[in-house]
Amino acid sequence: MQTAATIFFLTMRALREALRQPAGEVANIFIPLFFFAVTVGSIGRIAGDAFAIDNFTGFQMPVAMLSAASSAAAGAGLGTVTDIQRGYFDKLLLTPAPRPAIVFGRITADGVRALIMTAVILAVGLVVGAGLEAGVAGALVLFAGAFVFGMGYSSFNAAIALKTGSPQAAAAGNLFFFPLIFLSTAFAPKEVFAGWLEFLATINPITYILEAQRSLVLEGWDGLALLRGGAAILGFGMISFTLTFMALRGRTA
Amino acid sequence: MSAIVAEGLVKHFDEVRAVDGIDLDIPAGAIFGFLGANGSGKTTTIRMLTTLLRPTAGTARVDGLDIIRDARAVRRRIGVALQEAGLDHIQTGRELLTLQARLFGLRGSTLRDRVAELLAVVDLEAAADRAVGGYSGGMKRRLDLAAALVHRPSIIFLDEPTTGLDPVSREGIWRYVSQLSSEEGITIFLTTQYLEEADRLAHDLAIIDAGRIIARGSPAEMKASIGTDVVTVRIEGPDAALEHAAAVAAGIAGVERVQTADGCAVMYVPDGARAVARIVLAFDEAGLAVGDVSIARPSLDDVFLQATGQHLQVDAPGAAPSS
Repeated sequence: MQTAATIFFLTMRALREALRQPAGEVANIFIPLFFFAVTVGSIGRIAGDAFAIDNFTGFQMPVAMLSAASSAAAGAGLGTVTDIQRGYFDKLLLTPAPRPAIVFGRITADGVRALIMTAVILAVGLVVGAGLEAGVAGALVLFAGAFVFGMGYSSFNAAIALKTGSPQAAAAGNLFFFPLIFLSTAFAPKEVFAGWLEFLATINPITYILEAQRSLVLEGWDGLALLRGGAAILGFGMISFTLTFMALRGRTA
Repeated sequence: MSAIVAEGLVKHFDEVRAVDGIDLDIPAGAIFGFLGANGSGKTTTIRMLTTLLRPTAGTARVDGLDIIRDARAVRRRIGVALQEAGLDHIQTGRELLTLQARLFGLRGSTLRDRVAELLAVVDLEAAADRAVGGYSGGMKRRLDLAAALVHRPSIIFLDEPTTGLDPVSREGIWRYVSQLSSEEGITIFLTTQYLEEADRLAHDLAIIDAGRIIARGSPAEMKASIGTDVVTVRIEGPDAALEHAAAVAAGIAGVERVQTADGCAVMYVPDGARAVARIVLAFDEAGLAVGDVSIARPSLDDVFLQATGQHLQVDAPGAAPSS
């Protein structure tokens, strides 16, 4: 009970903080939408012939969703470093609140922000013709996935922040997403890749998360794709949460 | 009854022995001053006692609870204001106190009343709904103190609560701390590098140097332990002149002890007023160039000098001279 209450109070604090710094949130949503528009605009017309993809707008919408979620996930890392540097993190550690719950407040807030950004991108995507074959239930699955992925990636950034206490390191943690997205099927299906890139895309969890999202957008319900995507999100999340717990223990040892 | 007990408390950071075997026994209701220079081990000690750091060795009990086994229970009983006012600049003062109160389990009207009461106590009602980032240094310290009191702790740890504050803000913090002790019976563990602060607030005092307690007692007892007047003579010229002065002073009748620090020969004599002429004459005959001369009753600075061999360096603006 105390854990849930602590997470709730600190989640609300982090969301209030985000609302009071709207410029950051605008950038987080604008950049993925900008790349969404540019990618569809530049490659969309040839995607059918080149990749055998009819709905390239729908193919790209999950990339924008994941990019936005990863941007939202920077909040816990940067916020935790700021709290550490200002001494406020110690102030929180000095309360009787369970210490993991103190960290998970910001992580949960990032999950909520990832969900909201995903909803905005879905709305924009629907307006520009991306479609959503799985309907309203599919949208709910997309939101749930964004929430958990946002938390997982946020936890990864929080682990770096707790371990290093460095704003530079916390910011660099978020850059980790870029090689992962470029080494996935973000812009084209694996079938058109060179052998080495196809191998890297096959072992890249982002590939399976994108395929799960795309299955909902382009096809409807594909149990195997959803299972693989869910496993990738949960696996990444569990590794991240473990790193966060270890970093938290190290900071208070 | 003891509020804080520590036995052989040790903290190492790799090869650095930040705290090197500290024993404490602080009675409930006392203001305990922990005096030391920067890097002496004050903050590390306070971080161990408040459960922020695990000791490398030794044990400590706070309000009867073990700081390792009962860490969460300890945190319910203590209030802590660390060296840098640990505040979130984006929240308002009221929001910050409200969140702090919630994390200590306060809810509803009890919470609202306590927050309002504390904002009044620390004179921040007018600024309560402004972002903390816009507060002055003194306002932040007062808010930090209020946050430490939100759950009515029985023991408060204040780590250099007035460092960097102007004299007026410092006076305000001293007044709050005295009230907490005299009116509410709260035990206060106060670290400081200011002699006046220690002299004015502390009932009991320990001087820490290089991770070890090197002197202990009330400020009056400590000063009385020197038992003599202190004659300080500034010696103009090179370091060799100061060493010569120390040698000369050691041979002057009535001088019980001589130390040198910051270009001065510091002599401990039973009757300073009578001895000063004798001392100046002896220095003059020895060919030493005498600068300022002062006679004083022993101060905590003299206690510190006697214990550590150096003056306590104070670098904050508005720092008052020690008594």
